[in-house]
Amino acid sequence: MSDPVAQLSQFGRALRDEGLAVGTGRVLEFCRAAALLEPVDLYWAGRATLVSRHEQIGAYDRVFDRFFRGEGDRRPPERPRVRVVTEQVDVGLASEVELLRTKSFSRCSPEELAQLAELMARVRIAVPTRRARRRQPARAGAPDFRRTLRRSFRTAGEPVDRLWRERRRRNRRLVLLLDVSGSMADYSRALVMFAHAALRTDRRWEAFCFGTRLTRVTRQLATGHPDVALRRAAAEVVDWEGGTRIGESLESFLDDYGHSGLARGAVVVLCSDGLEVGDPEHLRAQMARLSRLAHRIVWLNPLQESPEYEPLARGMAAALPYVDVFASGHNLASLEELGSQLG
Amino acid sequence: MRFGSVEEVEQAFAGHSYLPDRGLSTAVFLALAMKRPLLLEGEAGVGKTEVGKTLARILEAELIRLQCYEGIDAAQALYEWDYSRQLLYARALQAGELDPGQRVAELYGRDFLLERPLLRAVRIGAGAVLLIDELDRADDEFEAFLLEILDAYTVTVPELGTIAAAEPPAVVITSNRTRELHDALKRRCLYHWIDYPDLEREVEIVRLRAPGVSERLARSVAGAVARLRELDLVKRPGVAEAIDWARALTLLDAETADGDAARATIGWAVKNREDLQRVEPELPELLA
Repeated sequence: MSDPVAQLSQFGRALRDEGLAVGTGRVLEFCRAAALLEPVDLYWAGRATLVSRHEQIGAYDRVFDRFFRGEGDRRPPERPRVRVVTEQVDVGLASEVELLRTKSFSRCSPEELAQLAELMARVRIAVPTRRARRRQPARAGAPDFRRTLRRSFRTAGEPVDRLWRERRRRNRRLVLLLDVSGSMADYSRALVMFAHAALRTDRRWEAFCFGTRLTRVTRQLATGHPDVALRRAAAEVVDWEGGTRIGESLESFLDDYGHSGLARGAVVVLCSDGLEVGDPEHLRAQMARLSRLAHRIVWLNPLQESPEYEPLARGMAAALPYVDVFASGHNLASLEELGSQLG
Repeated sequence: MRFGSVEEVEQAFAGHSYLPDRGLSTAVFLALAMKRPLLLEGEAGVGKTEVGKTLARILEAELIRLQCYEGIDAAQALYEWDYSRQLLYARALQAGELDPGQRVAELYGRDFLLERPLLRAVRIGAGAVLLIDELDRADDEFEAFLLEILDAYTVTVPELGTIAAAEPPAVVITSNRTRELHDALKRRCLYHWIDYPDLEREVEIVRLRAPGVSERLARSVAGAVARLRELDLVKRPGVAEAIDWARALTLLDAETADGDAARATIGWAVKNREDLQRVEPELPELLA
């Protein structure tokens, strides 16, 4: 290939195949940068213009080696990689009151589930708030000079009334990720019902189902009677009661939705038994990504209803360090408790 | 001042006691040549902030630092009217018999405008290095707002008009990656991940930053710190820790980083109780 620009853009395309978000604008920048530098610094020209996340450096290095075979490369020698360590918060859940509310979803008859749907519609989910950038008038807080000055015009420039303002607060977004694979079959119907009830609280909230692949069901669940919504969602999800690839599903959630803002600062609730058939290491990496975006990660694992349960399954163990609240969600009482606990 | 080549950048930084690796000098060179903000990420203590400070010294430009924190807003980053002064002035006006029409215009004049870092950087333009430190701590909304400024380098104050930079300032943004920054912002920046330096470079850096430290001690400290970094620690020691530790050992007249002096000063390198417990049993090996 003689034309250098053609070669550099081919390189950009190869990076795109590896999953890097390399648009035409970036390739243009890369070409400009390469033109400004000596050929030996080609590696760094690309690193500064085509890479925008630490995780992408590995893929960039691979493609670069394949493309330019060590030319234009002044990399420092290999160094050990970074590990992320997060504190883990354990929260115990239990309150034995009413029969139905405490009966495990897995033992409920279809009639009982229908009754539960009505009860669920009344569950209130309080999510943490976040401070917004703008302020609003308040009874106390920081002095509001602007309004104080305005008001002072009524009293001939004398600031008699002093006014205050404070930060506005907004509810954080809640994102539900529901495992509908075979091993969760006893619980998934009830959890989707819960999602239906939750989505009515706030129209910005979202729900997804996953087994081997991810399906967004927000629109299907957002309106109507629970039964109708459930049927519509079921029609949308193609891998109902199949295997579980949590890592890959999470990755496609992050790539397609989470990273572009859906998971940012949100409370993400994952409902799954953690029986991952994919690579636990992959799940760990995706959980690390999620934990950097989300405000809090809640993992509901119905297996926890058994007191002997310990999160030893490889997938669950890999994900646990990134989980802020680990609860069971196997019956209505535990979901209610969760709803009041998030705020 | 503009650099002619990557080597010039390297030399200029070295002349101000900062030893960048090839990647960092290339990124700085490109950022200046292409007039793009430079986004620096890396572990704490690898010298991200120092890049901005050093660059300002090299360019003989004014360093304008915007330290980000949760809840930072436009009033703290851009400008604010000095309302209390305006109030006082308005009251003084009532006492006097001055021409009111003109005085009202004066109330929103430059005298009453409190300039914050971003406005100042836009006003000074090429004569400034704008260091936006720890952007990951600020909220999403602030990032979007910053994006607007970095796009056009203009600020509009409704009462005064638009202030635009003739030539954009050099911009260095740092992030500790406690959260992911928005892709839109990243797209406008050149990106560089600052890694821990290799052993030789770290020895040089320690000697350059702490002139009283002997070659032997610097080497021994750099070795011990490199071994510490390979352990599974919550907070791995950065270059800043290595420099402080070497200084401390010099004050105790230690010749190498082993023995009682090193044991007594390990807190300079490891600053977390769990990490100390983790390191304790391996100390003899680490400080070999």
